[in-house]
Amino acid sequence: MTISLAIDTSTSRTLVAIIKDGTVLWSGFRDGATEHGPALPALVQEGIKGFEISEVVVGMGPGPYTGLRIGIAFAQSFALARAIPVRGVCSLDAIAAQVNETEFIITVDARRKEVYWARYSNGARVGQPSVNFPADVSGATIYPDLYPDLKALVALPGNITEPIYLRRPDAIATADRR
Amino acid sequence: MSQPLVLGIETSCDETAVGIVRGRTLLANVIASSVEEHARFGGVVPEIASRAHLEAMQPTIANALVDAKVSLKDIDAIAVTAGPGLVGALLVGVGSAAGLALGLDKPIYAVNHLAAHISVDYLTHDKDLEPTIALLVSGGHSSLLQVDDITSSITKLGQTIDDAAGEAFDKIARVMKLSFPGGPAIDLLAKDGSASAIDFPRGLTTSNDWQTRPYDFSFSGLKTAVARYLENVPDYVRADVAASFQEAIVDVLLLKSLAACKESGIDSLVIAGGVAANSRLRAVAAARCEKVGIRLRIPAPALCTDNGAMVASLGALMVAAHRPPSPVAFDADSSLPVGVISLS
Repeated sequence: MTISLAIDTSTSRTLVAIIKDGTVLWSGFRDGATEHGPALPALVQEGIKGFEISEVVVGMGPGPYTGLRIGIAFAQSFALARAIPVRGVCSLDAIAAQVNETEFIITVDARRKEVYWARYSNGARVGQPSVNFPADVSGATIYPDLYPDLKALVALPGNITEPIYLRRPDAIATADRR
Repeated sequence: MSQPLVLGIETSCDETAVGIVRGRTLLANVIASSVEEHARFGGVVPEIASRAHLEAMQPTIANALVDAKVSLKDIDAIAVTAGPGLVGALLVGVGSAAGLALGLDKPIYAVNHLAAHISVDYLTHDKDLEPTIALLVSGGHSSLLQVDDITSSITKLGQTIDDAAGEAFDKIARVMKLSFPGGPAIDLLAKDGSASAIDFPRGLTTSNDWQTRPYDFSFSGLKTAVARYLENVPDYVRADVAASFQEAIVDVLLLKSLAACKESGIDSLVIAGGVAANSRLRAVAAARCEKVGIRLRIPAPALCTDNGAMVASLGALMVAAHRPPSPVAFDADSSLPVGVISLS
């Protein structure tokens, strides 16, 4: 028996759920692109009451960085404190699991007028997630406004250990400044 | 209860730092710095710092526990810097601290970075200095404070109206093609120079300034004066410029600190923050304080720069003073005022 604490902060919605062997025992969310800091602990505090959590599963993005990092930092530290495993998965895959189509594309807001996206075919992701302008993303039905499904998140295989950033940090070396 | 065992997390700028204290005893102080990644940019790049925090957080916590020879389940409370600082950087610490607190089911203290800098002094002394004047000088802050109770009452007397003192060091170091951060580089170079070679300006020290804003600082005029000197005097002596620039900063910091002591009738001064590691500031402060009978405390250099021990220290002082913990759900505040010692 596994009771999972599922967390995703890769979108403007902070999502938390308690999932026992594929059944959602508790779930909650709070909207707000800059709310992840207070929203996540509040949701977890409410959700974990009375449950013996045995693993943490967290969405590793892609998604806006500051919110994304809050979820990952929290998940890793919670798991450390409880001495339980923590596992990272691709947040886009947890969105895609809700779509019932053969060929489609998932996009989420990447700020700076760009989107993070990935293409799915016959239930599997094709290649790696990317970041592009929406005009450059085409070829299948686009689903732009969905949030990750935490039951699907927990069911995803594998373990991604690094956040999916897809961009380098903005900075100009002193030597290159004009 | 025996002395509280507190783990403190600091991520307000470019140091990922975890400290562990038991009451006033320092057990661990582990710092992972991303400073080298910022050096070629001449300053801290927020996104680079935030990424480095997340990467370093788990190993840093683990190393602190090993150093302290304690287990996480023995921790009585978590403390974390809630601000001021870079918001994206702060939030990595805040997320980690909340995860630990909820995972351990222990209280969390969301504390002020500036108050924490001062509180680190309490680790090395049994007796409190309070009330005391505190000079807080770092790359992000330059403030003169009155501390009546480190856990509940800190009043700002003045602060810089432009650059922080440490920022001035960084900028002058950049102009002189010295390494980043500028403080240690200028400190070192200045040892071979004359502090009185060049009479650089002391900001906000006219008689009118002493009337209207006696405890505020300004370093941008000094920065401009040094830059102009370097342009106008092609064969300048580098060590003399460093020493004279440093002297101008040290002089004005201490003039105002001692004026605050005199005016308030408080005969105690604490100097904290990264610039407090400057050897000239430490030496001149010791000499001038002794002359006028003011008790001076400056933490060891390793505890002056950003660290986790200071956050743990303030957390432990809050526990000892029976201050209520913070709610586990709180937001980082990049401009948290110094009067807000912990979030409630």
